[in-house]
Amino acid sequence: MDSDEEDYVFFGTPIEREEEITSRKKKSVAEASGNLRSLVPWKQEVRDEEGRRRFHGAFTGGYSAGYYNTVGSKEGWAPQSFTSSRKSRAEVKQQSIFNFLDDDERTEMEGRSLGTSLQFDTFGFTAAEIARKQAEKEQQQRPSAIPGPVPDEIVLPATESIGVKLLLKMGWRHGHSIRDSSVNSQYDARREARKAFLAFSSDDTKAEFAGAEPGKSELENIMEQPANNDAQSSQSTPVYVLNPKQDLHGLGYDPFKHAPEFREKKRSRTSGNRELGSRKAFSIKDNLFTSKSGKVAPGFGIGALEELDDEDEDVYASGFEFEDTYVQEIEEPLRLSMDSKEKLPLRLSIDSKQKLGGKEQGVLPGFKVVSNSEYHLERFDPPVIPKDFVPYHKFPGPLEIDNKRADPPPPEVPPPEDNNLRVLIEGVATLVARCGKLFEDLSREKNQSNPLFCFLTGGDGHEYYTRKLWEERQKHNDHTKQQLDGKSSPSVQKMTAESRGKILGEKPLERSAKDLSSSVASTDVHLQFNLSDTFTNPASFSELLEIAKPFKDDLVKQERFERFLKEKYQGGLRSTDAGGASNMSEAARARERLDFEAAAESIEKAKQGKQSQLSVQQFIEMSATGGLHFTPGGLEPAKVVQDEDLTVKKVYPKREEFQWRPSPILCKRFDLIDPYMGKPPPAPRMRSKMDSLIFTSDFVKATNVEETVTANREPLSVSQSNALGTSIEVADKEIEVTVEVENVERPVDLYKAIFSDDSDDEIEESSLNQVDDPQKKIEAANTTLNRLIAGDFLESLGKELGLEVPPDPPYSTNKAMAPAPQNDTFDANTGDVNILPVEVKPSSMLNAISGTSTSQWVAHSKAYHQQAAQEGRLQEDELIHGNPPRSGSKIVETGFSGNKFGEVKLVKLIQEDRKAKTSSSRHQNQSSGSSSDDERSRKRARQHRHRSSNSDSDSSTDHRDRYHSRSRGKKKRSSREKSSSSRKHSKHRKHRTRDSPSRSSRHGTEKERAEAKREKQK
Amino acid sequence: MSVADLPSKEANVLKGHEGAVLAARFNGDGNYCLSCGKDRTIRLWNPHRGIHIKTYKSHGREVRDVHVTPDNSKLCSCGGDRQVFYWDVSTGRVIRKFRGHDSEVNAVKFNEYASVVVSAGYDRSLRAWDCRSHSTEPIQIIDTFSDSVMSVCLTKTEIIAGSVDGTVRTFDIRIGREISDNLGQPVNCVSMSNDGNCILASCLDSTLRLLDRSAGEVLQEYKGHTCKSYKMDCCLTNTDAHVTGGSEDGFIFFWDLVDASVVSSFRAHASVVTSVSYHPKDNCMITASVDGTIRVWKT
Repeated sequence: MDSDEEDYVFFGTPIEREEEITSRKKKSVAEASGNLRSLVPWKQEVRDEEGRRRFHGAFTGGYSAGYYNTVGSKEGWAPQSFTSSRKSRAEVKQQSIFNFLDDDERTEMEGRSLGTSLQFDTFGFTAAEIARKQAEKEQQQRPSAIPGPVPDEIVLPATESIGVKLLLKMGWRHGHSIRDSSVNSQYDARREARKAFLAFSSDDTKAEFAGAEPGKSELENIMEQPANNDAQSSQSTPVYVLNPKQDLHGLGYDPFKHAPEFREKKRSRTSGNRELGSRKAFSIKDNLFTSKSGKVAPGFGIGALEELDDEDEDVYASGFEFEDTYVQEIEEPLRLSMDSKEKLPLRLSIDSKQKLGGKEQGVLPGFKVVSNSEYHLERFDPPVIPKDFVPYHKFPGPLEIDNKRADPPPPEVPPPEDNNLRVLIEGVATLVARCGKLFEDLSREKNQSNPLFCFLTGGDGHEYYTRKLWEERQKHNDHTKQQLDGKSSPSVQKMTAESRGKILGEKPLERSAKDLSSSVASTDVHLQFNLSDTFTNPASFSELLEIAKPFKDDLVKQERFERFLKEKYQGGLRSTDAGGASNMSEAARARERLDFEAAAESIEKAKQGKQSQLSVQQFIEMSATGGLHFTPGGLEPAKVVQDEDLTVKKVYPKREEFQWRPSPILCKRFDLIDPYMGKPPPAPRMRSKMDSLIFTSDFVKATNVEETVTANREPLSVSQSNALGTSIEVADKEIEVTVEVENVERPVDLYKAIFSDDSDDEIEESSLNQVDDPQKKIEAANTTLNRLIAGDFLESLGKELGLEVPPDPPYSTNKAMAPAPQNDTFDANTGDVNILPVEVKPSSMLNAISGTSTSQWVAHSKAYHQQAAQEGRLQEDELIHGNPPRSGSKIVETGFSGNKFGEVKLVKLIQEDRKAKTSSSRHQNQSSGSSSDDERSRKRARQHRHRSSNSDSDSSTDHRDRYHSRSRGKKKRSSREKSSSSRKHSKHRKHRTRDSPSRSSRHGTEKERAEAKREKQK
Repeated sequence: MSVADLPSKEANVLKGHEGAVLAARFNGDGNYCLSCGKDRTIRLWNPHRGIHIKTYKSHGREVRDVHVTPDNSKLCSCGGDRQVFYWDVSTGRVIRKFRGHDSEVNAVKFNEYASVVVSAGYDRSLRAWDCRSHSTEPIQIIDTFSDSVMSVCLTKTEIIAGSVDGTVRTFDIRIGREISDNLGQPVNCVSMSNDGNCILASCLDSTLRLLDRSAGEVLQEYKGHTCKSYKMDCCLTNTDAHVTGGSEDGFIFFWDLVDASVVSSFRAHASVVTSVSYHPKDNCMITASVDGTIRVWKT
């Protein structure tokens, strides 16, 4: 079709669907004529003159690219209309080029605008961008007293520029002066750094300026000048972040005005629950602020924004200088100490260096941090192990834990002075301990450049970190071990007195565990327990055993019981002896254990009550009478039976209460108020598939319409009658399949979808049935074919569902065949269109298939006759009495079922004696068969359904009925009478079709079931 | 009421059923009785005069239970054809057939207003059918039973049913609760005491059990008869002084309600006594049997 197809090599001839081409052409024509205008937009397709759709390429939307193959937006190219922003200023939209671009165009645009990736972000523009976005995001998340977006100028990138990075790599740290032996190189470095900082923003320079100012004031201080300058420049690194007003103090009120050190404390406390990493980044900056405000605060009544903004400092510039110099004096010694510290880089925390004036955190101004803190973790030395100690351990836990534990602990290290760092280290250590080494590696990789995490790579605080990590691992292991222990609690106390004695080199007792087994040797046991008392504390066991002989009659069991007691109260080697009763099943063992448990409990209770013997006796009795259910199963079967008897008596009658929801209509009919009135209806009952396979579905019930003589009834809903019609139709195809399929509650639409065409045809036919045109016949043949296919389909469906489907295509052709002999009589009746609207159709179908099916029909009718004879007994009754509800359809259906279930039926019930009668009556009917049609029509007019016709005409009328109902499903009947009569038929028929096969089988099973029940009860 | 007042003399024998009679019931005022049987017919009798009044034929299989409205205008019946028939008494025509039970229907009852028919089926369900509307779908399906439901009783507010799963379940429509009393034995028949406080349940272990409805306790057990495999009725006398029931050997038993002693027992039928029904006011009782007869007993 398309030109690009020529590029490919094709094997075989492509199947060109004719209708596709034609429809396409049609469509294009229709479109050309503007017919498609009426279609909904998403159904409209843009096509070229030849009716081909536009294809945008497989990866750009295919056929459905754009907005229904158009511009890309519903508005198309229409420009936005002007909207006054006077009233709604906030909502005014800024129009940009992007508003008028397609998605792909936009992506193209974005692709064109170059940006530096973070990796090569020399001047930090990208970082600045990211930081701004980040700040905005945070701004939205954080509560802030001042609403509105953050001004761009305030937010500054948090990443260092390449220069800083380089400096860092060279060993420079924040807050340090870039110092070298040669002044020139130092200046160069400084210039570099400045350049880098200049790149940030104009604000940066300002800040730098502000920072440089005090440096100028210090120019008098000759000795410190260059270094100080450098320090200032680096200190002025504008890594400020807005500090939102989160407290409830008045604007400008600073609770820490005179005690800035508390601010730090508070901040660290509040930020403690925040995420670790982000908190770190903040805390650095916070420190910066604190130190500044510490300087500024004493001089002025400062606003809250003071510490946040450099501009404020400019406002009070003169004061600031004064302050600065003032502070400078104080900090002189500190700076010196800081310098000295630089010589021990490992000891220095990063944060402390970043602070202006080298103020240590948590240290009051004017105080100095001690170089070695006196704070130590209090640890106790492990107990001294005797030299001749032979390690003999069995660990229940997995081995790898032990391996880890076996690592020699790293030396204890005092935590770094910086609180933040300590917290960080500890946190990372905990995480690493929990998540494994992988986490450490990862974070190391990630934070390679971050000076905060240099403890990972061996920088500051590494030793502390290793120590901490070890501790955490220890803790973690302990924890897991505990868990393990909890799981294998019985195996924890593996060390018995004997083994312990062995280990300690004591002389083992001659009689050990075995003594327990003999019930006589209680004194020995006593001895042993006296010994074991020294180790464990078996509070009550020794006393217990004296009185505890609940299983005297069974020595083996008693032995087991004692062992159990021993385990219970003392703990001991259990697994070895647990198999003592290896011949017992697992269940028996469990039961016995329960038994023992109960016994032990009762013994204990008895002891408490000081009436030992009695209550043990009681217990035994109790267990005997079944008050307890822990009776030994295999040993005393007779007793158990007795127990069951007794328990039955005790248990029954058992009363239970459930929620039950009566339907509202039931309540109404009982003249009661619905207890669930106003409450939402219960969820639809879950029906298992099995359930619905066994029992007929609700759907079937829904279509069960009773047959009565009264004419006044509500018309069925169309859908229901549709279901009726279609299902009946299907029933004609294959009764078995129908039953199954409907039971699975296939939606009616499926059938509609399958059969809608031919029922449509029928409507046509029914309207045109007087006219005998050959085209209709062809169509009818087509529909029959369709049905056959549908039958196959249903059969396969049944197979898919795992149900037995009798292959029955001949039957369906039979059905088409069935009306054949009757056609003539119908022709006689054609005047009555109302009654016989569709009878032409069967005949046409017959024409289509007659060649193949006659022989089958003969074969089938044999079985059918045979069954009809049985069924005739019912007819006989109807003939006698006034209102026989039987229809001929029943005969047909039971005839069908008789093929399979005839034998079952034959055996059933009382019908043997009726057979003779029925056959005679049948003959009678047959003789009157030809005249039955007139009679029938007359009767139908009276809405009575007397079916006294013979078998052939019955089946045919049955067919007619079917078509009646089916066509009725499609179109509204004008005549009430008619609808009721046809409904009656269809109903009837339907019921039969469904019932007859399953019922006979059910009867068989029911009988058996009843028999079995009876047997059981005897 | 003394033992002498118990109906023990055969007043009439109602013959007409071919084959076993499965149920015999007095109507509301006790002037008529209905019977149904394996011959697929329902018969209306005047038991006091021994007259067969009418036969209702439409069932396709045996009729297992029949009930008549208090105003004697309608019948409902059920049986092996899995349908519940709703009859007009006078015309003898079926007004409606309620289909929906998946197997045989064991018992059927009208409610007080004759607006609802409740049927108990072998398909382990109770179904309530609306007689007022033209809908033939059940207005309620109760399928909490785990075995065939054998018998059903209705009060003004409750549906009580006994099942082979050993439970007597009371469905209280007023409060929306289901109370299940598990007796441990298949329940054949449930019948209410006239004061409505007790349920008499016939179990297949040849025991009648009297249940206190409020507490669910077994008040008394009545033994002596044989009831192992047939659906057999039991009932209390009109004064609630005695309990009566048939036996599989054709005997009828009377027990004292309180001390459960067999007060009287006599051979009433040649075969299994399938149904007993006590007159609502008089000392009169009808029994039906597999032998095809219905007997009327008076003092």
